[in-house]
Amino acid sequence: MSKKIPLDIVDDAGNSYYVSERKIYAREISGRFQTLRKIAVWVLLGMFYAFPWLEWGGRQSVLFDLPARKFYVFGLTFWPQDFIFLAMLLIMAGLTLFFVTALAGRLWCGYACPQTVWTEIFMWIENAIEGDRGRRMKLDKMPWNREKILRKGGKHLAWALFALWTGFTFVGFFTPIRDLFARAPFVSAGWQWGAWETFWVFFYALATWGFAGFLREQVCKYMCPYARFQSAMFDRNTLIIAYDPMRGEPRGPRKRGLGSVLERGRGLLDKVTAYDYVFRASGNAVAADAAAQAHGITGMAEFNPVREPLPKFAPEELGDCIDCTICVQVCPTGIDIRNGLQYECIACGACIDACDEVMDKVGYPRGLIRYSTQNAIDNRATHVVRPRVIVYGLLLAGLFAAWAWGVTHRAPLIVEAMRDRNALYRIAEGGEVENGYTLRVVNKDDTARTLEVTVDAGNGIRLAQGPFEVKAAPEEVLTLPVILRGPADSKGAVPVRFTVAAADGSVSKQVESKFFGPM
Amino acid sequence: MPDFTEPQFDHPPRSAVQAVGAILWPSFFAACVATMVFFAFVDPIALRDQTFPDLPMSRAMGYSVGFFMFWLATAASSLFTWILLRPPSRFNRALPPK
Repeated sequence: MSKKIPLDIVDDAGNSYYVSERKIYAREISGRFQTLRKIAVWVLLGMFYAFPWLEWGGRQSVLFDLPARKFYVFGLTFWPQDFIFLAMLLIMAGLTLFFVTALAGRLWCGYACPQTVWTEIFMWIENAIEGDRGRRMKLDKMPWNREKILRKGGKHLAWALFALWTGFTFVGFFTPIRDLFARAPFVSAGWQWGAWETFWVFFYALATWGFAGFLREQVCKYMCPYARFQSAMFDRNTLIIAYDPMRGEPRGPRKRGLGSVLERGRGLLDKVTAYDYVFRASGNAVAADAAAQAHGITGMAEFNPVREPLPKFAPEELGDCIDCTICVQVCPTGIDIRNGLQYECIACGACIDACDEVMDKVGYPRGLIRYSTQNAIDNRATHVVRPRVIVYGLLLAGLFAAWAWGVTHRAPLIVEAMRDRNALYRIAEGGEVENGYTLRVVNKDDTARTLEVTVDAGNGIRLAQGPFEVKAAPEEVLTLPVILRGPADSKGAVPVRFTVAAADGSVSKQVESKFFGPM
Repeated sequence: MPDFTEPQFDHPPRSAVQAVGAILWPSFFAACVATMVFFAFVDPIALRDQTFPDLPMSRAMGYSVGFFMFWLATAASSLFTWILLRPPSRFNRALPPK
């Protein structure tokens, strides 16, 4: 066994730059984490499909009314002027992602990302119609016959229906969904949807079908920005899905009846040997990196690993990994978690459930693959509270406080004063100077108000018509042409202040502008 | 045991200058075209009057601000493309030692 095996082994496709993506047939698995994922899928997709149908205060609970430029979210109404709150909400979502990632790794990917959540549903449908992993692989190899056409056709029909319902629901967030449903094809006569409604229903359906049915893990591997930068938030104290090489290596099949490493007293390997075995078993670059680190070498530049073949181990030397490769078969992104943390890992926990099941079967303790931190795996202390966690946490708390205060203390009235653009001023009869303005008054409340408009300025400048009252219906936008009149000797620019106040004194808003006379 | 090795596509890392150039140059070009097309139809002063009528803004400033906004958008897009085109090996490293 002295012959050296070159490191860059490639698969059958050769080292071509154009290798089509290997199709992944993820084996289905059940277990603790898959149950959690199912719950997450039901809760999140349940929210997506149910919210537009819920009524809240006589209105659709979540409605992004683009034509009216108003967003309704459970009794809160957001106007274009409230854009800042939406932006803050997005920033907070980003910070939450950082915070959670630093603490617990890629929880987002495994449980909450729409891509993985919808993929999960599509895989359930596929599994129900085409059968389990073995059957699906057989079906793909099979020549086209009646069964294959029926199964594949049935799957695509089910996918298409589900995707269309998804597209319909998506549009239902922007157009009142009950009305959209009443006008839907097959529900009403003829085609009553508008061109853009139709387009977006089908576009979103097509995207769902393509992303969840075909692209799947490739979205995470090649399209997702988060997958590319999440590692920046990781350190050795972050929860990751990790394989314990000290316990598992050297891997290998064995006869029944061999106890686990602890039962038979082999114990855990030292780090250097364990990571070395992982690298020698797989030749993977991450494993090589980990092996180098265990040796105390940092940076790949100074480390040129030679992949020595593994010797044949006696049964009592073997670690707890029986090399059944079930952890690889269940992986939706098709990686081998035993090589170490890889950016492809979406932290779904399927390999944990799979390995636990296998460990139960062979009578070994669970947790050969487990949720853990790199420090814990390497038998060091894990620190939960660390500078980055504190910084993210403080930023998040501060931003949330500001947002909550801002949203609950929004002014119920918006007043803008725009000077008429045509002329700076004009001379009225009797030599007095006049300036024209347009007041835009928005009553953001859902109650009607009577508003009083006054002006506050020096130099004898006054409203031409005198202070006046207007009625504003709930959520009404008023456009009020207003003329200010000043004495004949008005000169230059004079600051003026319009005040719009509710007659009952509940709200009042002031806005500044300028009054121009001859220079 | 089945072979799970991935094919290797890795181009050796490029110099920082090349990477930055490949991000800034195409985005600059795209921003120039976008600016010309956009302002061929939109007068920056008219746009100002519709949006921020109180800003003291000249046409030249409007064109400049517009160009840099376009460039920001196109450069962001180029940056994203660069991140996505980096091969997995640039990301797949063991967690750094403490």
